[in-house]
Amino acid sequence: MPHYDHYVIIGNGPAGNHTAAILRENDGDAKITIISDENIFFYYKPKLTEYIAGGLTKAELMVPGLSFYREKKIRLRLGQKVDKIDPERKIVFLNHMEKIYYTKLVIASGSGARVLPSMRSYADCLKHITTYNQVMEYKEQIQTAGEFFIFGGDLVGFKFIKMLCKMHKQVTLLIYPNAFWPFNLTEKMQEIIVKNLSRQGADVLVNDDISQIIKKEDTYIVKTVKGVEQQVDLVFSFNGLIPSVEFAKGCGLDIDHGILVNETMQTNVPDIYACGSCAQIYNPKINSYTTSIGWANAVVQGKVTAMNLLGTHRVIESVDYKYFDLEGVEIKTTWWEDIEESSFI
Amino acid sequence: MKDIDLVIEICGSAGEGTISAGEILSRFMSGQGFEIMSFDSYPAEIRGFGKCVAHTRLSSNCIYSPGKLVDVLISLNDGHSISQLSTLKKGGILVYDSAPLKPHGEDKSVLGWAEPGTVTYGVPLTMLANRAAGNSRGRNMVALGAVVALFHMDGQSFTQSIQARYAKKKQVIIDANVNSFLEGFNWTKKHIEKTDSISFDGVIMPAGREKLIINGNQLVVRAALDANLKFYAGYPITPATKIMEILSKELPKNGGTLLQTEDEIAAIGAVIGAGFGGVRAMTATSGPGFALMTEFTGLSVMAEVPAVIINSQRGGPSTGIPTKTEQSDFNAAVLGGTGDCPRIVLAPIDTFSCYQATVLGLYLAEKYQTLVVILLDFFLSNSIRNIDIPVKPSQVFLDSNIAPTKAELENYQRYKVTPNGISPRAIPGTPGGIFFSTGLEHDEFGKPDYSDKGHLKMTQKRFDKHSFVLEEAPAPQISDFTGDMADIGVISWGSSAGAAQEAVMLARKDGIDAVSFSSMILSPFPEKALVAFADKCKKILVPELNYSGQFANFAVHIIKRPVERLNYITGRPMASEDILEKMRQM
Ligand SMILES: Cc1cc2nc3c(=O)[nH]c(=O)nc-3n(C[C@H](O)[C@H](O)[C@H](O)COP(=O)(O)OP(=O)(O)OC[C@H]3O[C@@H](n4cnc5c(N)ncnc54)[C@H](O)[C@@H]3O)c2cc1C
Repeated sequence: MPHYDHYVIIGNGPAGNHTAAILRENDGDAKITIISDENIFFYYKPKLTEYIAGGLTKAELMVPGLSFYREKKIRLRLGQKVDKIDPERKIVFLNHMEKIYYTKLVIASGSGARVLPSMRSYADCLKHITTYNQVMEYKEQIQTAGEFFIFGGDLVGFKFIKMLCKMHKQVTLLIYPNAFWPFNLTEKMQEIIVKNLSRQGADVLVNDDISQIIKKEDTYIVKTVKGVEQQVDLVFSFNGLIPSVEFAKGCGLDIDHGILVNETMQTNVPDIYACGSCAQIYNPKINSYTTSIGWANAVVQGKVTAMNLLGTHRVIESVDYKYFDLEGVEIKTTWWEDIEESSFI
Repeated sequence: MKDIDLVIEICGSAGEGTISAGEILSRFMSGQGFEIMSFDSYPAEIRGFGKCVAHTRLSSNCIYSPGKLVDVLISLNDGHSISQLSTLKKGGILVYDSAPLKPHGEDKSVLGWAEPGTVTYGVPLTMLANRAAGNSRGRNMVALGAVVALFHMDGQSFTQSIQARYAKKKQVIIDANVNSFLEGFNWTKKHIEKTDSISFDGVIMPAGREKLIINGNQLVVRAALDANLKFYAGYPITPATKIMEILSKELPKNGGTLLQTEDEIAAIGAVIGAGFGGVRAMTATSGPGFALMTEFTGLSVMAEVPAVIINSQRGGPSTGIPTKTEQSDFNAAVLGGTGDCPRIVLAPIDTFSCYQATVLGLYLAEKYQTLVVILLDFFLSNSIRNIDIPVKPSQVFLDSNIAPTKAELENYQRYKVTPNGISPRAIPGTPGGIFFSTGLEHDEFGKPDYSDKGHLKMTQKRFDKHSFVLEEAPAPQISDFTGDMADIGVISWGSSAGAAQEAVMLARKDGIDAVSFSSMILSPFPEKALVAFADKCKKILVPELNYSGQFANFAVHIIKRPVERLNYITGRPMASEDILEKMRQM
């Protein structure tokens, strides 16, 4: 009896989709399944901020190529959450109590919002923009709200603030230098950023911290250590992203922040690979593991994962350095780029 | 007020309460003032296995057809619901059990097969039912609770509907059902983040007239009793059995007699015997039984004895597909049998007209002393509607026998040729009204007469009656023409007529100039009206639920031009969506 692989891919982002595309290109017989807990087709996460501001239609948010799955016979399971993995029996358990057997597993589960430990008690008051569902939950509120308090920073946060200023919303930003993970925000950079954002109409607070957030009817009162007190409609936290790997914990996979993989994207468990922003990749130059956030990285990692799964040895290389402008500061990075409609599958 | 037009399906295994959940939902919606049309499909087996689907369309407007695609699928059974997903609209809603007792194997969960884009709500049906009543029997009520909460329906009134449904049961059963419902309702309110846009919030239907929630079979019984039925003989067969079952209780209460015979041949024999005796009589059957009755149908026509046969069509031929709907007995009913055998055939076009057809059938059979076949089908027999309470027939319809006058009894000619073909009929026992009655060709006295002239004369007489029947039958339903000529005319019959009418309305919204024609009477057929209609249509479409286009073939002979056909034998009722699609292609 012929033996066909069943590649199960957890994640419907750029890493997962590009893995699937290369696998199908090179293995016409295998069964390929993509699982995502979000109930939406493949979309441009980087465009979420523009979408939330009403600057994009849903169609523009979507990555073109929907017929891809049917044509390529890739089973897409949307709105289905992975609860745990049993590598011994090669089973993925879904939240709705279905078991899926794999021969090769790819974890491309991306990352979610990082909530600072000091802010956990206010978790109910904080909003994030990391998934489409979250965006749908607040999209209308954002349109009608007048005042926003944002703390942290990070690159997504800046995109969002810019958008809000364009919408003539009243924005207060409390900069947390450590939100700029994974690069350091120097005093000089901060100065330029503050100047730039103020010019766009935002109030920027530095060297301060939140002391309390109180929910009052439909609004929030934010108090800071230095005595600033503001009543706002919505409070957003932008403090970087953290790999979404809860479901993978305790099954024998080596996990630090993210799932540890070698340069060929393999984990410590046979037949399990990880890629995209959930993975922490070994870098022999520094003898340590680093996470590579960013669309372009996810695409490249997905492709390399697929090649290695297919038996073609490929070592991951960083994507090219790019420069981009962060409120007047030129930042050189390999992990972030302006997303154009370039990443069709 | 916003319009509501929703199709909800509950899919489970036989014995899981699928059908009763559908019934409660329909009754509740009707009580709220909505139009409903519901249709259940179930296996031939009695209990324990097999897929059941309770399909309900509810609308704030008039409903013509059950709706092909489903807005909301409630899965009580993952295995069965997987195949039912194909009926779910793109972006439709799936409610499923998120915490079954045992994990599903790979590809055994309905959620696993939901098309991307489906709105899915997981509700722990089994867990909540157990919590409510200590067993999982109330999963159907938990699911209803979830739906009521999801779509912002009135939970309190719904609870009352459940209580009413189980009013005759023990209190513990009522409590178990209500508690299960409330568990589903409260859990959903608390845990489900709604992402669809269906809401009954603020939708208040005006209080209307009292409605009767009823299916075609029940309505046939009601009509028969109202129309003075006094004798029923039959042999059980799906989908007509229910008619006999209800009559077995109701007919004796109304001074009538029900006889369960050994087969359908005996049943029609007994009906003709009763008819001969001057008693209003009928039988109900389906294709295989109707085939057995053929010889006796000839006797009814030849001996001019009233007889009414309800034939609820199912998938055929032979035993065929007993629990699926079809319109494939047209030929058998209108043209079947031997000899030149004119008979009256009526085919109700919706649930309400099952009542009209039955009253009319009993009346015409008696008046014209002939065979009347009433063609229902599985869908009409079983689909439930909420209708206005039918007005009881007037006295004219209750006793239509044309009895001989004293003078006519002097030298009584039972088969006298009259201008309208109807010979005064003496009921046995009428003084002076003795006559021969036989299946042989006969003269006006009833005595056997094999002469060519005699045969021609009597055949002509039996056919002549027909032209008068048409005058008493309801006129065909023809939608208004917007101009001199329409682009497409849709000619339909029986249960497909509703879908055809709806398709025409949708087509008009689409800019297609379409019109519809349907006639409840199929034999004799209102040919002039059809020809006049067809003359004003550039193209003709005939949708029907049979393979060979039986009615289309019949219509072609009348209008003498080719027609487009739409034939389905899927076992499902005709869908307006399919007719519309066909019109778009024409
Ligand atoms: C608002 C925003 C703006 C951004 N802007 C930019 C930008 O301008 N430029 C840039 O380069 N990068 C940007 N990024 C980062 C970029 O989008 C990510 O680095 C990239 O999407 C990562 O791809 P991925 O495939 O690894 O994971 P993701 O795209 O995050 O996809 C992860 C997938 O895994 C699924 N998943 C997670 N857990 C489970 C589970 N338990 N069960 C089932 N499925 C699961 C999710 O549903 C999802 O489908 C931005 C990110 C955000 C949030």
